[in-house]
Amino acid sequence: MSMPGVGTEQERPLAQGATMEISVSRQDLLRELTATQSVVERKTTIPILSNFLLEADEDRLTIIATDLDQSIKTSCAAKVKKPGSCTIPARKLYDYIKLLPEGDISIKLMENHWVQIRSGRSNTKMVGMARANFPQVPEFPETSITRIPAASLKGMISKTIFAISNEESRYTLNGALLILKVESMAMVATDGHRLSHVEKTGETLTNVSGEKKTLIPRKALAELQSLLGSGDDAFVEFADDEHTLFFRIGRRVLTTRKLSGQFPNYEAVMPRDNTKFVVVRSQDLMGSIQRVAQFADERSGAIKMRLEQNELKISSSSTDAGESEDTIETPYNFDPIVVGFNSAYMIDFLKAVGSEGEVRLEFKDAQSAGQMRPEDPGEDYKYRYIIMPMRI
Amino acid sequence: MGRIRILSDQVANQIAAGEVVDRPASVVKELLENALDAGATHIRLEVEGGGRKLIRIADNGCGMLRDDALLAFERHATSKIRSSDDLLSIATLGFRGEALPSIASISRLQLDTKTDEESAGTHIEIMGGKIVRVDEAAVARGTTIAVRDLFFNTPARRKFLKSETTELSHVTALVTHYALAHPDKHFELHSATHALLVAPPVRKSSERLYQIFGGDLVDQLLPVAAEMSLEHAGLPEPPPWKRDADYKRPEPGFLRLSGFLSKPELQKLNRNSIYVFVNRRLVRDRVILHAVSEAYRNIMPPTSFPVVLMFLEMPPDEVDVNVHPAKAEVRFRQSGFVHDFVRDSLRNGLIKARPAASFLQALTASPHATSVISGALLPDVSPLPGEEGETRFAAADSEPVLVEDAADFELRPPQPEPETDKLPFSLAGLEVGLEKLTSGLPEAHDCDSQTPIEAGETEAQAPATLNGLASLKPLGQLRESFILAVNEEGLWIIDQHVAHERVLFEKILRERQVERVERQRLLMPMLVDLLPQQMVVFAAIARELERNGFEAEAFGPRTIAIKAAPIGLEGNRLERMLVEVLEQSERETQRENLETVRTRIAASIACHAAIKVNTPLDSKRMEWLLAELAKTDHPTSCPHGRPIALRYAWKDIQRAFQRI
Ligand SMILES: Nc1ncnc2c1ncn2[C@@H]1O[C@H](COP(=O)(O)OP(=O)(O)OP(=O)(O)O)[C@@H](O)[C@H]1O
Ligand SMILES: [Mg+2]
Ligand SMILES: [Zn+2]
Repeated sequence: MSMPGVGTEQERPLAQGATMEISVSRQDLLRELTATQSVVERKTTIPILSNFLLEADEDRLTIIATDLDQSIKTSCAAKVKKPGSCTIPARKLYDYIKLLPEGDISIKLMENHWVQIRSGRSNTKMVGMARANFPQVPEFPETSITRIPAASLKGMISKTIFAISNEESRYTLNGALLILKVESMAMVATDGHRLSHVEKTGETLTNVSGEKKTLIPRKALAELQSLLGSGDDAFVEFADDEHTLFFRIGRRVLTTRKLSGQFPNYEAVMPRDNTKFVVVRSQDLMGSIQRVAQFADERSGAIKMRLEQNELKISSSSTDAGESEDTIETPYNFDPIVVGFNSAYMIDFLKAVGSEGEVRLEFKDAQSAGQMRPEDPGEDYKYRYIIMPMRI
Repeated sequence: MGRIRILSDQVANQIAAGEVVDRPASVVKELLENALDAGATHIRLEVEGGGRKLIRIADNGCGMLRDDALLAFERHATSKIRSSDDLLSIATLGFRGEALPSIASISRLQLDTKTDEESAGTHIEIMGGKIVRVDEAAVARGTTIAVRDLFFNTPARRKFLKSETTELSHVTALVTHYALAHPDKHFELHSATHALLVAPPVRKSSERLYQIFGGDLVDQLLPVAAEMSLEHAGLPEPPPWKRDADYKRPEPGFLRLSGFLSKPELQKLNRNSIYVFVNRRLVRDRVILHAVSEAYRNIMPPTSFPVVLMFLEMPPDEVDVNVHPAKAEVRFRQSGFVHDFVRDSLRNGLIKARPAASFLQALTASPHATSVISGALLPDVSPLPGEEGETRFAAADSEPVLVEDAADFELRPPQPEPETDKLPFSLAGLEVGLEKLTSGLPEAHDCDSQTPIEAGETEAQAPATLNGLASLKPLGQLRESFILAVNEEGLWIIDQHVAHERVLFEKILRERQVERVERQRLLMPMLVDLLPQQMVVFAAIARELERNGFEAEAFGPRTIAIKAAPIGLEGNRLERMLVEVLEQSERETQRENLETVRTRIAASIACHAAIKVNTPLDSKRMEWLLAELAKTDHPTSCPHGRPIALRYAWKDIQRAFQRI
């Protein structure tokens, strides 16, 4: 497999009086900078990390950004007059290129890390830093690569990413667990209050034997989401080594440091005897909850779900805002039940499901976890969302 | 021959003197009280040598008849009460008939007095308790007493006297506070060379306050006034069959409070700046001191104390003043009632005023500030023993006094010779050094670090309230930790963490009050390992924790499993909060009541759930926070007592830029 421009330049000892001179189309360059710039730290105490590393070799320009936790490496075609490399302040370069008109851009490394950028009648110089200071970025391994269908991965991320914990101290919950099997894959995320679990069957995965579990940090999932959104590649190549996870989407490679620690035993908390249930239209439920939540306690967002004879009543009250109730008619003839939930948690799920179709709400009692799932998930997805109640 | 002997009067008087008089200031106190009891409206005092050489007090009161004047130096001679029944409703400051004989037994005393009834006045001289001369005197109505060479015949006691300056400062503080209690009377205090205090009569306490302390302190103080009918807790009545035919129900009367209390940012390291007058008698009463602390609880750090000048008025039969040899303590017939009345009145005063702290004042008003200005606001010397001095009165002759004095000398940095002409203002400067040495930082928030602040100059501020908080327009954040905001009044800096902490604290207490604390159940119980003694503490407060949103149970001998948590607490924050509460409880359990535990837990939850420093906030969030803060009862300070919002007044900004 040919990987132009990747992995060669870094190993080569740096020539004295380094040079680099290329010409690249503004459209290509901007597209790749856009894909990469989100990794660059805005407020970093390590100045080199606010720079892009540009490497030019043969007929490609490679762009690398890293915040030490993750890196993105991408490339585009370029006319390389003098191969070489340089670093350029990332934010400034990105903002500047956005403002240039279409056309070719020439980038040339000068003395003392100055970089000249010319396009049409525009001429700019920026000062970068010594290329040698730029941290080493891990190389994509050439073995044990698993090809994951891109659309499925994207779907799983969007159904779980919101349930990842924001609490930085709970680092094992700061990511989603990817479970790869020979014929299926699943992703699960939790913040300790709710848990989102999605499973996709009917896949054939290479290089997987038994079950492979990988904890992927939230930041990397968000990067993946946008990389998957901008490309139209059918597969993501996934690999890992001791410390690093690698994802290759077309010509772009995302690496991320592995999260250490044990993801909690989520299977133990999946409810088994939630026998009281209703089915409602997703859109109706969303509307009701959003209305009622306006009057919930600002901090907790607590709402009450009351299931009675063929009715689902959703209500809230707070000393500040007032109170509110919505009723949805729907078949229900189990024992009445009242249970409180954080409305934001429910809204997250309904957004992930979309406004089409129906959702099923399954309960046991006011203390036990409630479960929500799409009534007709389609496309071999099995999607379950578990929320712990609040006592209001 | 038996060994027991009746002591001579002279010795008995000297012993009594030990209880009544232990330093020049206590002589001044007794003589001042006598003058006030005699209805004087003009009182002039002179002291020399810190009062050891001379104390002279001249009043224009009713004076004494010749026979009475001689009798006044007998023990237990008083015109103020007749029977023990009178003891139940003492309306005068004196009642024991002990002061004059006691003072006379340990000094050389001269008395000149004249009444309206007799045409001639009386002159008496007494040396160490023996009358050496009685004469007629041509003097105006009133009484003048000169006490010379105090303790000349009791060398043991003389040893305990401190420096002239210290004794003078005590005298000054004492006169100052009686002057405050009686704004309608003329007070003067002179040293050999200077006029220390000259206060002609004024109509209101606030005018007197201004007269004595000037505008700087007055700006830091808030007036309070409250009144409550004692009807519901009236006097006990005899049963109907024991009542006389013409029995009249006792008038229940009123409990009244008036005075001044400091804004929360003015903080002292001891209770010496809390002055309480009960029926115009300066007292130091535990019940009231406790009520004051309660009023400031969660507004001021527990290690700091406010400046309070408080006058309580109540029917004389509601208060027993006959419980302490120096009359420094009193006992209230309904002490719980008085306690709650004081606490609630002060608290309401603080809530109503919502005082805004000026940024510059906050720099100097903290007890830890090194500026002399903070000290200069009030003479920080108490004529009565403070909490650490309480042993002094009780056991005036015993060791602790010595030890304490020694410690005092060690702690004090070398003192500059005070400028006595500026008393009492410069006195406090001496205390500042001491405060600095003994200071501990206010109770720490474990979630943020101290931000160093550079000292600046200070200027008097116009009184300001926090009522404008709701109209504040946030401009942005300083280091993602402080909100900068403006309104007509000036530029404000708001500490986002403590602001949110205050909002949450009051919300949690409110919800707890009505048992409506919301809680989030956890998907997987969170296990927290504790030390054995923490397990014990946990068991003791588990019920209260439960009502605050924690559902937890023991999970093995040294582990608890948390199954539900208060809103906004997760992961580390939850665990840290719990451990903090357990550690505090371990230290406090002995003396804490339930309400204190409750507020402590609420403060801890609030602190850990609140927005942290170094957290970016968008303008909507800042507006929300300021609006919520404006709704709180005490937007002045966080539950640990740190200031929340400080203001650069528009006037000061203009002044600093030399526009006015
Ligand atoms: N300045 C004064 N003017 C008029 N009468 C005085 C004055 N000082 C003392 N007396 C009279 O002398 C009496 C004795 O005073 P003394 O201070 O010894 O006792 P007391 O004030 O009655 O009680 P206590 O010992 O509690 O002060 C008083 O009761 C009062 O009648
Ligand atoms: Mg007296
Ligand atoms: Zn705090």
